[in-house]
Amino acid sequence: MKACPRAVRSVLLAAALAAVACQEPLPVLHVYSWADYFKPELLKRFETEQRCRVVIDSFDSNEAMYAKIKAGAGGYDLLTPSTYMVGVLFSQGLLQPLDAARIPNRKNVDPEYLEIAPDPQMQHSVPYMLVKTGLAYSRSRVKDPVASWAMLDRADLKGRITLLNDMRETIGAGLKSLGYSLNTTDQGQLAQARDVVIRWKRNAAKFENEQYKSGIASGEFLLVQGYSGDILQVQAENPDVAFLIPQEGTSIACDELVIPRSAKQVVLAHAFINFLHDPAVAAENTSFLSYLCPNRPSYEKLPAALRSNPAVFLDAAVRARSEVVRDLGSDNARYVRVWDEIKAAR
Amino acid sequence: MKRSRLPLAVTWLLLAFFYLPIVVVVVSSFNGARFGSGFEGPTLDWYRRLFAHEEIWPAVVNSLLVAAGATLVSVVLGTTAALALHHFRGRLQRLHYALIYTPLVVPEILMGISLLLFFAAIGLELGLFTIFLAHVSFCLSYVAMVVLGRLQDFDDSVVEAARDLGAGWWAIAWRILLPLLAPGILAGGLLAFTLSIDDFVISFFVAGPGSTTLPIRIYSMIKHGSPPLINALSTLLLLVTFLAVWLSQRLRARSET
Repeated sequence: MKACPRAVRSVLLAAALAAVACQEPLPVLHVYSWADYFKPELLKRFETEQRCRVVIDSFDSNEAMYAKIKAGAGGYDLLTPSTYMVGVLFSQGLLQPLDAARIPNRKNVDPEYLEIAPDPQMQHSVPYMLVKTGLAYSRSRVKDPVASWAMLDRADLKGRITLLNDMRETIGAGLKSLGYSLNTTDQGQLAQARDVVIRWKRNAAKFENEQYKSGIASGEFLLVQGYSGDILQVQAENPDVAFLIPQEGTSIACDELVIPRSAKQVVLAHAFINFLHDPAVAAENTSFLSYLCPNRPSYEKLPAALRSNPAVFLDAAVRARSEVVRDLGSDNARYVRVWDEIKAAR
Repeated sequence: MKRSRLPLAVTWLLLAFFYLPIVVVVVSSFNGARFGSGFEGPTLDWYRRLFAHEEIWPAVVNSLLVAAGATLVSVVLGTTAALALHHFRGRLQRLHYALIYTPLVVPEILMGISLLLFFAAIGLELGLFTIFLAHVSFCLSYVAMVVLGRLQDFDDSVVEAARDLGAGWWAIAWRILLPLLAPGILAGGLLAFTLSIDDFVISFFVAGPGSTTLPIRIYSMIKHGSPPLINALSTLLLLVTFLAVWLSQRLRARSET
């Protein structure tokens, strides 16, 4: 740079040095989420791009997180609750509306998912990761599998089956097997579903949310009800494990990105949501987590194995019969009652 | 008379009951298979990934900071509380005793949520400091109880004799009470440290942004992360614990001879 005199250059250099030396403390984005829910390299990239630090704290259940936020724990700028919990947080006035102008990438969000989402306009939540519930089985030891919840009734697998220990998932599967909505509040339908789940329970070994992964991997269990991302991770270790989505339809759960009312770094939180829906970023995250970020342009960047996997991308007919588990407000009590009856049944 | 084999058998069974789970954790930490479907050859892979994991180590540091601080403060407060309870009788001390005793019987979840509500009400920002305060509030009770037990068979005439010989309160505290109570205080401190470092329920509620402690982190990873990393971490923690116990025993053996 000939045009740049020496003096100017040294001043610039000094300024640059000063900027490094007495750097203002970087703004910190506090994310409250599930453990290992963002690819670490992507967080690094966001930190460099936005000149900030991302600090992640983890929770282990929606309910525990809700109890904390509701009691007044502040300082978190972004949460990742599941859809039904977004409804609860929103109805309690704990979320702030999102500024659409700050999230231009919202145009990338898959409209097909938004059709069934409770907040299709993305006024206070943007979907982050989709999880489907299905059945995993041992290819070599389960003969003639059929893509149906009726698999849970098979007498030859008696005692080698696990069901999810989750009220809405398991009663929901019962409802779906009968052709009803898994968000129904109809007492008659719920009673029928209860009888189905009790029948399954008699055929199963136990209700299980964690150990089914190692159980199906080791062959201790032959058929388990489980979540798509978990099963895909098991498949990477034991290729004998197969996954199917019942034709009657299933539940699609989604973890959403929301900004709590007490957030401090609101602008940065919006930038983070926007960043996560950049197609390249979304594709990297999806491959890392084996869930699915509902980001339309990212799909073509995914590895072929994921794209052709029916557990990641549901077949259109099955998808049409599948639903998102919604918060039912006071009607939730009906499910609790049915669940208690199922748990008490012998 | 033939001696029965039963006690030996029971001892072995009990040892197996206590230590087999730990052995399983240690062995699985070297297992290449992520879901433990079988043993896929010994590997140090989980340890490598553990050391590269960027969110675990800050949690370890947080836990150690809180535990060290809470132990120090609760040892001082707990010991003085025990002394007061031992020396004075009366209605006030009965109340004091009840206050010290309460955290031992109150369910943790109740304590966690009430502390959170309290901190939120007075507008204290949640973080390491609030975890520290919460831990002091329950560790103190354990220290006080342990030291109080030690004081029960403490000969008060020693203190009276010292006073007769002209010792001031500082000399009495420093040269008589402290050395005689040291084992109790140390035991209380160790108890406080262990309780603080593995507390989950209370910490979960009073933790703020950026102050995730190790148990909170581990709990979330069990549900939604990588269990083998936890096995590796547990193995390292075990190693540190055994080393510390072994060192303290060696030190004690040396001071006794």
